[in-house]
Amino acid sequence: MKNFVWRRALAVARKEVYHILRDPTTLGAALVLPVFMVIMFGVAIEFNVKNVALAVNDSDQTQSSRRLLDTFGSSDYFLIHRVTSPHDAVTDVSAERARAALIIPPRFEKDLFSGRGAEAQILVDGSDNSTVGPVLSYVGSIQNMASQRIGDFDPTPPYEIRTRFLFNPELNSRWFVIPGLTVVVMSILSILLTALTVAREWENGSMELLLSTPVQPLEIIVGKLAPYGILGIIAVVFVYIIARTVFGVPFVGNLLVFSFGCLLFIVTYLAQGLLISVVTRKQTIAMQLSMMSGMLPANLLSGFIFPIESMPKFFQYFTMILPARWFMQVARDTFLKGSGLIELGVPFLALIFFCALMIFLAAQRFKRDLEP
Amino acid sequence: MNRTLMGFIKKELIQTLRDPRMRVMLFVMPVIQLTLFGVALSNEVKNIKLAAVFDSKDTVLRDIYERSIAGTWFIPARSKERDPFTMIQTNDADAVLIPPPGGFTRALGREDAKLQLLVNATNVIQAQSIEAYLQNIVQRTVMDDLKLTLRNPPILVSTRVLFNPELETSVFLVPGVMCMIMIISTMVLSNIAIVREKEMGTFEMLISAPISRSEVIYGKTIPYVLLGMSSVPLILGVAVFAFHVPMRGSLIALFIAAFAFVCTAVALGTLISTYCRNQQQATLAGFLFIFPMIMFSGMMFPLENMPAALRWLSFLDPLAHYMGLLRNIMLKGGETDYVVTHIAYLAILAVVSVVASFRRFHTTLE
Repeated sequence: MKNFVWRRALAVARKEVYHILRDPTTLGAALVLPVFMVIMFGVAIEFNVKNVALAVNDSDQTQSSRRLLDTFGSSDYFLIHRVTSPHDAVTDVSAERARAALIIPPRFEKDLFSGRGAEAQILVDGSDNSTVGPVLSYVGSIQNMASQRIGDFDPTPPYEIRTRFLFNPELNSRWFVIPGLTVVVMSILSILLTALTVAREWENGSMELLLSTPVQPLEIIVGKLAPYGILGIIAVVFVYIIARTVFGVPFVGNLLVFSFGCLLFIVTYLAQGLLISVVTRKQTIAMQLSMMSGMLPANLLSGFIFPIESMPKFFQYFTMILPARWFMQVARDTFLKGSGLIELGVPFLALIFFCALMIFLAAQRFKRDLEP
Repeated sequence: MNRTLMGFIKKELIQTLRDPRMRVMLFVMPVIQLTLFGVALSNEVKNIKLAAVFDSKDTVLRDIYERSIAGTWFIPARSKERDPFTMIQTNDADAVLIPPPGGFTRALGREDAKLQLLVNATNVIQAQSIEAYLQNIVQRTVMDDLKLTLRNPPILVSTRVLFNPELETSVFLVPGVMCMIMIISTMVLSNIAIVREKEMGTFEMLISAPISRSEVIYGKTIPYVLLGMSSVPLILGVAVFAFHVPMRGSLIALFIAAFAFVCTAVALGTLISTYCRNQQQATLAGFLFIFPMIMFSGMMFPLENMPAALRWLSFLDPLAHYMGLLRNIMLKGGETDYVVTHIAYLAILAVVSVVASFRRFHTTLE
């Protein structure tokens, strides 16, 4: 790199700002999109399964079987509707009219009174994994409740477990999702914004013009990154405000630490978008590539919903090359745990490394492009 | 079909597939992604770092700890000599068992045994599973160690999981990832294809060329329907042969569903393109649509958990119907009522969006 002149970088930045301002749709979308996404997600997400549609076939029709049904119905977890045969109950599950089917056999009350133990069966729809676990655990606790109420059974264990859920005592799904959502929103926004800028200049032919001026590659990169970086930061601020006010997510950490993480992440992803743009030179491909390399991994491999510890060993290491994974940890831990720079040392070092690497690679590619 | 239209479609296909990188994007990347996510992702709870604070005399707690570590759920936490809360805060442990003073074993003798469990609840789903699982282990260990037999409760609700008894994550996820890949490649591509011509100025040439408006519309949409449909057997092949996702229902029903879905997606892409001037706008607008479509499809979050007011949105979401159909046909063998109703919904959505986009397109052309 010969001599880096701030004035030239600023000139490129100013030109880019004009580009953005001239196109209010993009500007609006870039600012509205994150807000819209966070609100959508925040409203729609609830991991605590409730109102599970339950098809019931009661072939016993006795007081005991009705009391078992009452226990299911009054639990708040299940919405009961009756069907006339066990076969219909299963059909309801196949036809998505029910998530589970409860079948009470004819001898239910007799078996209960004779002391043999009464047995009912629950068939759970396994096609949606996310509901099976909770449904099974509800069934377990309802079985105990019913045994107590109907069968006078009281197996008080000789011990007591007191669980404290740290950092999210009420197990609020939104506290879990929204900090992670910041990462997803940022990754989509920043990679898309820059992926198209350089490719557009190549397609329009204005890149040739830019290259014939004395501007250095690094100056172009800095000039192109700065305006979008600021746009990204404004979006983060919006997301943060919505998370705190609309959804009441606590923020126990240090805002400076979080902001520093945001800045590193945004610049890294913007630079990655720029690199894609420089390499592909075509907007269609740049866009596809940035979705594949930015959006899907940030959504699925960053530990946002699917925990990294549950992945096979190879992928646990593989995720280490994704900046989104590291920023996910920074976002969650600063929001909920209040971790500082020291606890988050590894993620921050990784982010700094990727940030430098992406800028370096983009500048490097640019330089080669410049030479005829 | 007339020759002009054929020529147009051919031009469009050549233009899209000319670039070898685009061919890779369209046909190789989806397969790689499906494989990657199919292998990597799972909802299972694994490798949770567990710590327990116990001394050598506390045999019951030791047994509990060892029993937990022996399964696949837990691994030992690295450090043991520190404050339990700090251990969780610094990510050295995810769950810590703390006995009452004097040890859990002694407390059991006094019949006042209060075992404390600290769980890192930043991941809500995991925290709940961890608690339930540990309670189970504690119960079994205490019963075994105190030589108590567990009385059977008088009422037993036995459970069976249908359609995916092993609860394989890939069986559940692969149809979802299929949907996601397909919507990106159809809706976004058709959208960009039109906007690109506008941006380059070649659209004017198309209009002044001696072809009718309908031909322009058909020529701009049919190629992307074809491309979208061509990815169906590809992705389906990977799902069934590499991930052993069952294919229990009728292939024909699945292809009809896919066709209706692809038409809707391409029509929506075209509709969006009429409002955009450049590719950057088109991309952002595409996202504004794709994101909620994924949200309300039930792919990641079960729909019945959503507020009722929002649930009706999923009726307008083609992805929700397609997703439901894919899972129903592949995993459950396709219940006739369900399949027919939802294909009908998809068809209605397809017709509405095709008509809307054609009308809008006509006005733009004038």
